[in-house]
Amino acid sequence: MASKHRHSHGDVPVVPDALSAEEAANLAFASDQTLTKHHFTEGEHPIVRIEHLNKSFDETKVLRDVNLDVWPGEVVVVLGPSGSGKSTMLRCINLLETPTAGHILIEDQEITGQSKTDVNKLRREVGMVFQSFNLFPHLTAKQNVMIGQTKVLKRSKEDAEAEAMKQLTAVGLADRADFKPPQLSGGQQQRVAIARAVAMHPNVLLFDEPTSALDPELVRGVLDVIRDLAENSGMTMIVVTHEMDFAREVADRVVFMEDGVVVEQGVPEKVFDHPENARTAEFLGSIG
Amino acid sequence: MSHMHENAMTRGESHHTRCVPALALALSVALVLVATLALLPVSALAMTTNKATARPNEDGGSGVIGAMDTRLTWEGTVGDDEEVSSITLSLPEGATFDHASTRITVLDGLNRTSIDGTATSSGNSVDVQFSEGIPAGSLVRLEITNMQFPADGGDYVVSGGYTTADGQSHVLDDSAAITVIANTPLQAAVSWLDAQPWVAAWNSNPFLGMFFKPQLLLTSFASLFPGWLVCLGIVLACYPFAIVLGLAFAMLKTSRHKVLRAIAICYINLLRGTPLFLQIYIMFFGLPMVGINIDNNVLGVIVMAVNSSAYLAEIFRAGIQSIPQGQYEAAASLGMNGFQTMTSIILPQTVRRVIPTVTSDFITSYKDTSLLSSVGVMELMMFSKNLTTTTGNITPYMAAAIYYLIVTLPLIKVVGIIENNIARSERGGGPRPKRRAVAGASQQASKAEEELTASAEVSHVEAAKPAADVFAALSAPFVSHPTVDLGGVADGE
Repeated sequence: MASKHRHSHGDVPVVPDALSAEEAANLAFASDQTLTKHHFTEGEHPIVRIEHLNKSFDETKVLRDVNLDVWPGEVVVVLGPSGSGKSTMLRCINLLETPTAGHILIEDQEITGQSKTDVNKLRREVGMVFQSFNLFPHLTAKQNVMIGQTKVLKRSKEDAEAEAMKQLTAVGLADRADFKPPQLSGGQQQRVAIARAVAMHPNVLLFDEPTSALDPELVRGVLDVIRDLAENSGMTMIVVTHEMDFAREVADRVVFMEDGVVVEQGVPEKVFDHPENARTAEFLGSIG
Repeated sequence: MSHMHENAMTRGESHHTRCVPALALALSVALVLVATLALLPVSALAMTTNKATARPNEDGGSGVIGAMDTRLTWEGTVGDDEEVSSITLSLPEGATFDHASTRITVLDGLNRTSIDGTATSSGNSVDVQFSEGIPAGSLVRLEITNMQFPADGGDYVVSGGYTTADGQSHVLDDSAAITVIANTPLQAAVSWLDAQPWVAAWNSNPFLGMFFKPQLLLTSFASLFPGWLVCLGIVLACYPFAIVLGLAFAMLKTSRHKVLRAIAICYINLLRGTPLFLQIYIMFFGLPMVGINIDNNVLGVIVMAVNSSAYLAEIFRAGIQSIPQGQYEAAASLGMNGFQTMTSIILPQTVRRVIPTVTSDFITSYKDTSLLSSVGVMELMMFSKNLTTTTGNITPYMAAAIYYLIVTLPLIKVVGIIENNIARSERGGGPRPKRRAVAGASQQASKAEEELTASAEVSHVEAAKPAADVFAALSAPFVSHPTVDLGGVADGE
């Protein structure tokens, strides 16, 4: 571990210090206005700021100087071919991966280079839904949704249970509350996982290819739940997916990544219908 | 007992209060008379009782058991100026001389005098009429075989009387007491087996008689029982410690700190790399050498616990590492710290996975307590070894084998059941909770309906029921959620 770190030390790109909140907000506002359907309000700051983010695994550079601002309540869909660094970027935002260089700020708070306790605190604010669900198989659906609330947020059992049932009802699985994950279909498991993340009331919810592991007929149910959240919860969401129709329908902004770089971003109509970048066009063509 | 006795006395007192003076008078008169009569014949001239003994009839022991055939040997010396023509010996009620045969030996000094006689048994006494008078000063030995003492056990004296040639009857001195062991149902069963022709036939086969002698099997079970308890006690006492120690070393071995890992690796490898037998010797002989004296059983528990902990540490480590990375990530994404992740996510899953392996290790530990017999712990193996030494028969070892098996076989079965159950539940099979009736959730329910795969509804419950009941009972402490009813009552929420 140590030797790896030393080795890659020479390759760490030198990035400038993070911008001040005001600077960043102004800059982002100027650049993002045309790129998103988000309705800006006076004095608003981006909730997530990614500045010059770099990430390498050994010799492989996965992210190179990624810059992205996400506004409160915005739904950002990240597209791109496999290996383009989408998931790695997402995992950097809640520090499941440690950035090699660069800055990530959540609510103007630098999250890189923090102590462990602060990392745990940060993660309460940033929920995540995984490709492979990662439900806790020894717990029932309800207990899966409750455990973060009781252990981390220290909610009472009654409150946590009420919240769990509310969220399970929202994803249409109230009647499966006492089932354990292996007894549920993939789609049902993913919906429980969404309920588990939402029950923590995070400021930002990350979706890491939430439907990629599902059989085609189960995808719709999960997307419906995410769409419902996007339209009605007002929660900030960053969704990595391959579902183009879903992206077009739900996204305030579509971000296209390739080779660890954000190649193109903008409102879905523009990116889908009039891509500026040749690679974007090629990718969307091949998928569509 | 004494309490009851008191009560009886209190009741009797009121009844007899008035006649006490009269009774006392009568008693004292009687006493004087009896004393006079008793004193008269008890001179150097009368016949004396030398001894009365019974041959041990305990299988593998030296005790005399009641209601089982034994041989009573009685010896007396004829008085100086007497000639004895008959002797009557009697034992308390319950003893029997029926079917007994009596052998008479008369010694005059060192010379054997040939005197015959006829013995007549009547219940608890035997009357021996000699064909000719036994001369004065002779030693008479009566060996009465196939007689039985009372079943109750206790200390019994042989009393009786004799007649002299001139027709006078005399009372014999009481013999020293013979201690008799009460005849237990077990002894009764052994006696019954002794009398069975098939048992005799069975035992006449050299193999069966040496390895599976029914009578000895029965008595072995009884004698080995305390040893079995010691075995169970040691393994049950050591195992909780072994689990805690094992878990601690599993944590150390998966720790990020090099030194902690090194300590764990040394501990685990040293203990797994040397025989338990050697570890037992080192501890049992080493500690007293440096002045540390610990009770054998306690030290046995310690050695077994330390040894098992090394194996359990490896089992736990493998179990912990078999939990997918995604579980850690999911816990982290909820903001759980390392301790919370370990205690509420990783360990509960590990426990389920390692139960079969831990049970196997428990079986091994239970069997390995037998090694403690080599250092004098009075466990099963020790008892059976002793019994085999005294009886010269292998059957006690077979009884020990059975004692080991009655624990290990069910556990082996349990391991199988748990393994199947884990495999089935990881496939998503097994009993399902009753679905909740949620008011106003109908539109969501219909959404759920379309995803409901057929397999999810296929009921494994029917086929799995008997096994599931057993499993539910056994695994209840490990099940973390409260409402796995086997197709029964709803959660009620």
